Amino acid sequence: MKILIVEDETDLLIGISNFLTKENYICELADTFRLAEEKLSVNEYDIILLDIGLPDGNGLDLLNLIKIGHTKSGIIIVSAKNSTDDKIKGLDLGADDYMTKPFQLSELNSRIKALIRRRHFDGENTLVFNEIEVNTDNRSIVVNGKELQLTKKEYDLLLYFIINQKRVLTKEALAEHLWEDNIELADNYDFIYTHLNNIRKKIKAAQGTDYIKTIYGMGYKFTDQ
Amino acid sequence: MKFLTKINRNYLILLTTILLFVTVSAYFVLSSILIHITKHNLKEQEQLIEKQIDVQSILPNIYPIIEVKETTKINKPEHKFSTILIENKQEEEWEEYLEYSNTIQIKNQFYSIKLRQSTFENEDLVSILTATFAVLLLSVLIVAFFVSKKINKTVWKNFELNLKKIELFNFTESQSLELSSSNIEEFDRLNNVVDNLTNKLKSDYLILKEFSENASHEIQTPISVVLINLEEILQQDLNEETFKKVHASINALKKLSSLNQSLILLTKIENRQFNAEKTIPLNEIIERKIDEFSVLSETKSLKISFNFQAPFICRMNEQLAEILINNLISNAIRHNIPNGEILFYSNENELRICNTGLPNSFTDVTIFNRFTKGNSKSFGLGLAIVKNICETNQLSIHYSTSDFHCISIRKI
Repeated sequence: MKILIVEDETDLLIGISNFLTKENYICELADTFRLAEEKLSVNEYDIILLDIGLPDGNGLDLLNLIKIGHTKSGIIIVSAKNSTDDKIKGLDLGADDYMTKPFQLSELNSRIKALIRRRHFDGENTLVFNEIEVNTDNRSIVVNGKELQLTKKEYDLLLYFIINQKRVLTKEALAEHLWEDNIELADNYDFIYTHLNNIRKKIKAAQGTDYIKTIYGMGYKFTDQ
Repeated sequence: MKFLTKINRNYLILLTTILLFVTVSAYFVLSSILIHITKHNLKEQEQLIEKQIDVQSILPNIYPIIEVKETTKINKPEHKFSTILIENKQEEEWEEYLEYSNTIQIKNQFYSIKLRQSTFENEDLVSILTATFAVLLLSVLIVAFFVSKKINKTVWKNFELNLKKIELFNFTESQSLELSSSNIEEFDRLNNVVDNLTNKLKSDYLILKEFSENASHEIQTPISVVLINLEEILQQDLNEETFKKVHASINALKKLSSLNQSLILLTKIENRQFNAEKTIPLNEIIERKIDEFSVLSETKSLKISFNFQAPFICRMNEQLAEILINNLISNAIRHNIPNGEILFYSNENELRICNTGLPNSFTDVTIFNRFTKGNSKSFGLGLAIVKNICETNQLSIHYSTSDFHCISIRKI
């Protein structure tokens, strides 16, 4: 899976690329409009992460270019502007997703995986973690052959854990993933415990293992180690 | 009051005053002229009678207009005019006469002469003349009034047109204000002034808009760098103390970023960068949002009830409507007590959200101030944003508290 990251802030560029390399993606980097243009004229990419605020050009113009020559590429716009207009414009021009800075790497990972699933790059619609099997087409999760009866949020949460397995996720990051910007969650994350407890109970009922480890009461890690 | 109405009204008041004044003076002037003529006639008559007595020695007597008598001495003042009433036997009416009395001497004989003329007909004549005059004057004035009204309309037409354009002009949109020119110097000068002002306004607005967007961009990017680095540190095997520190830093950073976004949102609302493009029933948004918030309200075991008598529909930007309801609901949940209540009420003109909660010291004014936090860990910008959204969308907002804390939004 080949990813082109277009971002003018070098530290951010390196941070994202280090993370995605660890997740087994092949990353190429471009920190200017011109370099991105050059790379796009030579190579094919599965995913393009595109910052639209570039110093030497507007990322939205690059989007046009991508749409002409790289119809197979999935595009995620990364913007500092939390502006609905830009979001709509970007999606209209053919972007697949839109992320607002600052974002967390686990969230980026989840968005990239979702895009890959949507585009069926590997024809892959199942994710397996030991006895847990997720079918993303019909949004079902099976443990030891038994299908779990999960609510929408519980499914989203468990999928997020499996995608970001072995990573420490804070409860705030989980809440944000479930509600995005819709909720101003400043002081109460108790509902995350409720969701997690329900998921744990349902997995246990299907004789599955509880892989959700609590870390100092502040974060969680989905791991079998 | 409209300019032309004002002018027309003043014109009408002036016209009526002139008409009244001119008619009344015409009446008195005409009457005095007629009296003067009558007096002159009576004096001429006297000379004729004098001649008749002198030449023909005939004393003419025609009652009541001529009365001549021989008299012995002068016992009455000479050339005296007076107004007297004489009964008309045929019509059984008292009629007014102007009487001229004099005593003359012809060949050693004194004669007392009394000449009279009825002024009754004079009155009629004056009235008819005055009325004719008034009618003529009135028609001239009315014609002049309509002509000037017509002229005014044509002259002010361009002005009205331009005024409408200025009213409809929205400097947040890209099209420019094009005023049509007339060949009236003052109006063209006004157009120039308005043109200059709107251009300045537009460019200032764009600069401000650019600044707020750039500020957001410039701050969010370094925050992203710090955040992803902290997130990577969090993945290492940390002891509890270090983990806590990194966790706290991540949360503080997120707060900073969301504070930045809230302040930019406030600026954008104040700059009216959101166009009211849709009519939106706010209670429908409430019903949808309450579902999204159910996890939060359930953790506090809140009882939520709706009393929507009629939908509260207003014209505003969709994104702002969502933010408005979002902030109101999260406020009602955040400041609620366990097992508390939230009540939603709406009719055509009012939307009210009431919640139970601990008593506070806020007033209708202070609760909407920026950075008013109460005892929550939020920034205290939520209700300030709500107020700004209301103010820029022709809505009034009030807070009251008794058993419940209520926020009520009304159409202005």
